[in-house]
Amino acid sequence: MKAVLKTTILMLILLLASSLAVFAAIRLSGGDVTAARLPASASAADRDLFRRQMGLDQPILRQYITYLGDLLRGDLGNSLTNNASISDLAVQKIKNSAILGGMSLLLVFGVGVPLGMVASLKRNSFLDTGITSFSVAGMAVPNFWLALISIHIFATTLGWLPSAGQGGFKYLILPSVVLAAEGIALTVRMTRSAMIENLNQDFVRTLRAAGLSERRIYFKHVLRNSLLPIISLAGLRIGQIVGYALVVETIFGWPGVGQVLVNGVLRRDYPVVQFFSLLLVFVVTMGNLAASIGYTLANPRLRK
Amino acid sequence: MLGIFGPMLFGDYASQNLSNGHKPIGTDGAFFGTDGLGRNLAARATFGIRISLLVAIAVTALAVVIGTLIGLIAGYVRGPVDNVISLIIDFIWGFPLILVAVLAAASIGSGLLPVILAVALVNTVAIARVVRGEVLGISEKEFVIAAQAGGYSTIRILTRHVAPNVIPVALVLSSYYIAVAIIAEAALSFVGMGAQPPLPSLGQMVSEGRNYMRLNHWESTIPGVIIFFMVLSVSLIGDGLRDLLDPRLRTELDRESPQ
Repeated sequence: MKAVLKTTILMLILLLASSLAVFAAIRLSGGDVTAARLPASASAADRDLFRRQMGLDQPILRQYITYLGDLLRGDLGNSLTNNASISDLAVQKIKNSAILGGMSLLLVFGVGVPLGMVASLKRNSFLDTGITSFSVAGMAVPNFWLALISIHIFATTLGWLPSAGQGGFKYLILPSVVLAAEGIALTVRMTRSAMIENLNQDFVRTLRAAGLSERRIYFKHVLRNSLLPIISLAGLRIGQIVGYALVVETIFGWPGVGQVLVNGVLRRDYPVVQFFSLLLVFVVTMGNLAASIGYTLANPRLRK
Repeated sequence: MLGIFGPMLFGDYASQNLSNGHKPIGTDGAFFGTDGLGRNLAARATFGIRISLLVAIAVTALAVVIGTLIGLIAGYVRGPVDNVISLIIDFIWGFPLILVAVLAAASIGSGLLPVILAVALVNTVAIARVVRGEVLGISEKEFVIAAQAGGYSTIRILTRHVAPNVIPVALVLSSYYIAVAIIAEAALSFVGMGAQPPLPSLGQMVSEGRNYMRLNHWESTIPGVIIFFMVLSVSLIGDGLRDLLDPRLRTELDRESPQ
């Protein structure tokens, strides 16, 4: 437990350091922030004035501390492109992304684990080969391409589902499936091999010798042993989903954090980029931390 | 395993070389057709594959070298050096490559450079993490202790005794990281943060073809299929390499039980 606490504290310090690095990198970038807001005809003096108004002439560490203070008071500034309040923007976008990400995470485990179990039960059968090759393919398919193909098939050609935007549940299906695809493939693969590994362990032989039914051995003992490490690493899947959400949200026009960040970077809207990149760094770090704690708890050997 | 993947592996490897390897641009006429601007898709795809592979393989190779060095030092020297290195590794490891690249693009602007930096950082960390773990195990082994007792220098022990045992692991892992890098490069180019036009890249081709999906979906599907096969062949090569170098090696990705 002490080790966990120590990791947590060190991670938080690193989080602060890395957020400062991201913050500084965005400030030091060669791109001219005034280009996004002021007309091309603005004079050099006007540009200087604008920088001063934004507090950009201060030392970076000072700007960072000011920013953290503002952050705590919930004042995140305004977007440079449309002057919208970032705090309002954030609430809406985080909600949307949480819905999409949560749905994907549900799919990753809800679909990945049962498929992996089936494959390990019917080992080397036609079904196993099918599921396994599907998961190998699932890890190789670039998800933005999968997104385009699924839009082409299910939206354009068949007209079953909407291609982009946000509305009811129907709008959620394509993006969440595409976002979950690689995670599902990975989970299938991990579940299958963990189950097979555990089935070959001595304790299974002992349980069989003790006369337990196959079903009981399988679901109660083998499954539990196999799933613990997989579920405890769920935090890492969160990081993965965050990464892919940047692309998938952009394609499906899902108004979430990923889309805002990508557009912000392309338009050099630095207050937006700043907040949302710090947010994602935070989410991923928390995911990693959860995974490392979860993994330690799930492995008694690692507990010290 | 080799029985299943062997033939596929060699088949894919050959076809990958064929499309990558200096096929004279445009000799087949428009083999894959042309895009909206009348540019030859086959030629653009060939060039795109080169960029993808260059970014993924060259940078990952560099990452393997640096990552192995860091891992060797951290794992063998231990103490505070190791503590600091491991902490940084644990922090960065798990960050999705795409997010790191977007952050890099946010600070230095779009282009291939942020992608390269992100691939270098993330892959170096990933390799260093695994190598360190391996070195921790190996440096407890009798032959290393014997070498230490024999009074050999640390550098000699590391290069002659420890490194040969961890390099295969790093090589096998590198195939997986190359695959991830190919996908990330394509994805970033797709959203417009990777290779900038007129430099062609597969992800960017998918994105450009996207507007003409109804008209001619091949403009998007062909580069997509190419990415798919590149990633697939790289991972199959990795599986083959693993079987070749160390049948007992288990990565986190594939905990296949030895039968």
